[in-house]
Amino acid sequence: MSREDQLRKRAKELLAKKEVVLVLGYRAGKRPGSATPAFVTRPEDADGLIFDDRCGINLAAYLPRVKHRGRIGIVAKGCDSRSIVALLKEKQVDRGQLVILGVGCEGVKDNGRLSDSCTTCAYPNPVLCDEMIGEKVAEREPAPDPLADFEKLTPNQRWQALMDDVSRCIRCYACRQVCPNCYCPTCFVDANNPQWVGKTTAGSDNIMFHLMRAMHMAGRCVECGTCSRGCPMGIDLMKFNRKVAKVVKERFGAVAGMNPDEPPALAAFDPNDKQEFIR
Amino acid sequence: MEEPRMPEAAAADKTTGGEFEPKIVAFLCNWCSYAGADLAGISRIQYPPSIRVIRVPCSGRVDPFYILKALQNGADGVLVSGCHPGDCHYLTGNYVARRRFAVLNDLLEFAGIDPGRVSFSWVSAAEGERFAEVVRDVTEKVRQLGPNKKLLKEPIA
Repeated sequence: MSREDQLRKRAKELLAKKEVVLVLGYRAGKRPGSATPAFVTRPEDADGLIFDDRCGINLAAYLPRVKHRGRIGIVAKGCDSRSIVALLKEKQVDRGQLVILGVGCEGVKDNGRLSDSCTTCAYPNPVLCDEMIGEKVAEREPAPDPLADFEKLTPNQRWQALMDDVSRCIRCYACRQVCPNCYCPTCFVDANNPQWVGKTTAGSDNIMFHLMRAMHMAGRCVECGTCSRGCPMGIDLMKFNRKVAKVVKERFGAVAGMNPDEPPALAAFDPNDKQEFIR
Repeated sequence: MEEPRMPEAAAADKTTGGEFEPKIVAFLCNWCSYAGADLAGISRIQYPPSIRVIRVPCSGRVDPFYILKALQNGADGVLVSGCHPGDCHYLTGNYVARRRFAVLNDLLEFAGIDPGRVSFSWVSAAEGERFAEVVRDVTEKVRQLGPNKKLLKEPIA
């Protein structure tokens, strides 16, 4: 039985036995070669479920929005499972209300090519799941530090490169909408009293948005890359995410989305944290 | 390199002999650094009049946004100062803040914002001389860097 058949069978069982009220998975999208999230509530609809390299959307992003419905089954590849762990850490969802159907992932496609975030993926298999659907995939060797070249530039070159990139931002907030970490009822970009970020797409407001978004991702982002794939302007959002993840790993030895019992890195501290930058 | 001056900087020329006088926003924690600044004041210790103090309950109260927002709205530099580690009035506020500042510090450096634009320090209530020293130092660093242009939001003409 193929992996997709197993997935459909298991989803059907869970729904028929009323163990879950909803299975979150993927179905084929309208555009050829695309997939779209599927919210399956009837056993007969489970036949539409798929899983392959089209399934780049991080399904954990939907959990905070559907958790009130009851017990939920969710299809999770490596990065999705880490996002679920991140949500568990922040008490956004109960472990008991989830049935995590783990799938190994060979990397997802972004406009026909292997997604950039998948080249540095160190966790292709779920880090947390109730049952595996299909076999685990082989661990891959992540690409070397993708920021190395950028960090060798001079400060002014780095600033210019980032400004050139974010100046294209149209502030549609697609990156926020698809992000599993972004569940705040009122996002800082929507707050108007005080208004933290200016609403214009001027360079200063755009870089403020992206820097603050990066700060909010520090210690929480699992680098699934769904924001980069969701960006209609093709901005390299992963550059910011990777940087904060790298800082958090180097300074605090923490990797986001691994252990649900550990607090997020920036909600914790160690009295011996390095403080060479403080006088 | 000759930097174009802002009107206020030009007004300060009289007292500084034509040198650029930076505007620095200082976030001082109520329990240590603010009291340290107070001690510097009552001890008549001289330091440059470049800082604008904002008193916060704890360095943990300082959201990275405050720092970026100050730079965006025309500050040339930002100083954040709190109690020494272990001395926080709220026990752990500055430890948590320290992690946040570490990430912000590295992120700003990554983004190419001059190191020195944003400074962090620990100053206790007994360290009036040290507070003056920190302000002298930060002012000098920012003066060397010149007016902040990178994050500045240009007013709409």
